[in-house]
Amino acid sequence: MAETIPSAQSTEIRPTGEDNVIEVLDLHVHFFTTLGVVRALNGVTFKIPRGRVLGVVGESGSGKSVTGFSIMQLVQHPGKIVKGQILLKARKDDQPINILKYDRHSQQMRNIRGNEVGMIFQEPMTSLNPSYTVGNQIQEAILLHQTPDKDEAWRRTVDILRRVGMPNPERIARSYPHELSGGMRQRAMIAMALSCTPSLLIADEPTTALDVTTEAQILDLMRELQKDIGMSIMFITHNMGVVAQMCDEVVVMYLGRIVERASVEEIFYDPKHPYTVALLRSIPRIGLSKGEKLEVIKGGVPDSYSTVTGCPFHPRCPNFMPGICDKVMPAETPIEGNPHHTVRCHLYPGSAAEAEVETSGLAPGTAPAAS
Amino acid sequence: MVNYIIRRVLYMIVTVFFISIIAFILINLPPGSALDAQIQRLRQQGGDISMQQINDLKERYGLNDPVYVQYLKWIGGAIHGDFGQSFTYNAPVGELIWSRIAVSVILSLFALIFAWVVAIPVGVYSATHRYTVPDYIVTVIQFVGIAIPEFLLALLLLVFAATVLHMDAGGLNSQQFQNAPWSWAKLMDTIKHIWIPVIVIGAGSTAWLTRVMRANLLDVLNYQYVQTARAKGLKENVVIWKHAVRNALHPLIMSLGTALPTLISGEVIVSIVLNIPSDGPLFLASLQTKDMYLAITFVLLQSVLLVVGNLLADFLLAWADPRVRLE
Ligand SMILES: Nc1ncnc2c1ncn2[C@@H]1O[C@H](COP(=O)(O)OP(=O)(O)O)[C@@H](O)[C@H]1O
Ligand SMILES: [Mg+2]
Repeated sequence: MAETIPSAQSTEIRPTGEDNVIEVLDLHVHFFTTLGVVRALNGVTFKIPRGRVLGVVGESGSGKSVTGFSIMQLVQHPGKIVKGQILLKARKDDQPINILKYDRHSQQMRNIRGNEVGMIFQEPMTSLNPSYTVGNQIQEAILLHQTPDKDEAWRRTVDILRRVGMPNPERIARSYPHELSGGMRQRAMIAMALSCTPSLLIADEPTTALDVTTEAQILDLMRELQKDIGMSIMFITHNMGVVAQMCDEVVVMYLGRIVERASVEEIFYDPKHPYTVALLRSIPRIGLSKGEKLEVIKGGVPDSYSTVTGCPFHPRCPNFMPGICDKVMPAETPIEGNPHHTVRCHLYPGSAAEAEVETSGLAPGTAPAAS
Repeated sequence: MVNYIIRRVLYMIVTVFFISIIAFILINLPPGSALDAQIQRLRQQGGDISMQQINDLKERYGLNDPVYVQYLKWIGGAIHGDFGQSFTYNAPVGELIWSRIAVSVILSLFALIFAWVVAIPVGVYSATHRYTVPDYIVTVIQFVGIAIPEFLLALLLLVFAATVLHMDAGGLNSQQFQNAPWSWAKLMDTIKHIWIPVIVIGAGSTAWLTRVMRANLLDVLNYQYVQTARAKGLKENVVIWKHAVRNALHPLIMSLGTALPTLISGEVIVSIVLNIPSDGPLFLASLQTKDMYLAITFVLLQSVLLVVGNLLADFLLAWADPRVRLE
């Protein structure tokens, strides 16, 4: 239902010449709800180099999942991709294609889902269908994309289950989801997503619902499979600790925008955006003495129907500068001496230079920005 | 599994047994019996009836015994298929009842099939096209279907059949087949007639099931596994029918347990209006005339249908939902 609006093609941004599995360019996604328009993504641009793991972090509601679903063209009604490009380059020697040209119900799009791009979700308890065996659900994907031969597909199903570390994969394949533990189900989901060896895996908070031990095992498994298969991962999480274990590069999202991007080392050792700094402060650390409180970012994410003028983070920012932060939207600026580390913040020189003044008004009938 | 079935069947027998006791007591509570009515009639016909004759009759029907003895005599016979005598028809209850029960069960089964065959696709369409014009139309029809009295719908269909289709509607057969033995021609004739009662009896549950189907499917469509199925690259049709509908059917299956008896008692009015030889009108009459053994046999058979329906529904549910364990 959510076709891309023709204007998506009009502002073509040239792909870079690098070998990126996916390039998302100036992506805008709006939800046309009965209460007004929710601007879930407001110009998101990032790329994932082949074989690398990109962490996408941010508080809940910042648009991480919508970004992931956009790549699959599975943004749910009433959401629509209103602008932008998503360039997929499944194999090294392919030409990048803008998949938003395809209708979301088209054969081409279905060939991409599950085949070129796999996806796993947060809730292992509900992401498998309770009415079919684990094997049946994995086999279904293999039959769809890889081989029409049922026996062969079943053999591969058992193989991939063994590959993700399932003890007794033949038995697991014949089990129903409710017969498995949360960790086992997430392994099954990983097996399903990897069954067709996709070039990109979108992992939407895959370990958030798991206990710490299981989380560590699943992360190890994903790292190992990622190296073996050589795929790229878009790893969505709100947990900075997980980012440190998993990712090569990081983008930090706030209210549908990327506010900082850098390599994982720089995010941890030299964070620039006050929001990133605050996110890092909220990780529990070993060595935190007992009385010491874990920091929380003050305030909450503003309600999503309204648009904040200026920098969207200014109402919560400890470094708020009146007169500029609440008036002018900061532009994405490279940090001096490092073109790969960029930030959207007026604390850094150059950010206001090409800044846009946010004029897009309030959605009708909604309250002004929350404080 | 075998243990489970044996246990369930035992429970069923106990349940039916208790229902029969309670029903027997209830039917015996109001003063007078069908026998009194019969005596009345004989008196009116002129004959003077002596106390001796009355006592003979009472003796014959066992009405002089205490209630529990009457009950024991009756249930003892019922186990062997002898359900006692009908006072008003002066015939064995079994003879009166079987053909009518058969008609009722057939009508109800067809109505049930009709309801499912219509409700599932319409409910699915309604849910997947939520807030579009067709969905609104379906919703309106549903509310009409639930609200319209069955006799009215029956009359409307009769008029429609008579004026538009020019058929001799009403009853289960045309005049010439009414008392004819079963034959190919009579079967075809029955099929031509049966759709009216089937629609009328099924209308309410069709509307209700459509509503349930729509609501369940909307729920299920929000589950993560539906997104998982889409993310695999499945066609939307497969996503809906294989992954969503399958899980939205459970409440419908659970409702099957009660559907059969409801349908059977629901067709009383319809059968009267449409002049159909089903068990409904006879049951009603038996209650009015306090035709004790006839009435109680109906109650017994309906409770048997209820418990059997429930058991079947449980089996179906266990088959449809692997999380349900029968033990
Ligand atoms: N179905 C929907 N209807 C309306 N708004 C939605 C819907 N789904 C997502 N959004 C909006 O998109 C924003 C981003 O959501 P999401 O991507 O799920 O955040 P997260 O970063 O927690 O994954 C939310 O704040 C919400 O306002
Ligand atoms: Mg999310």
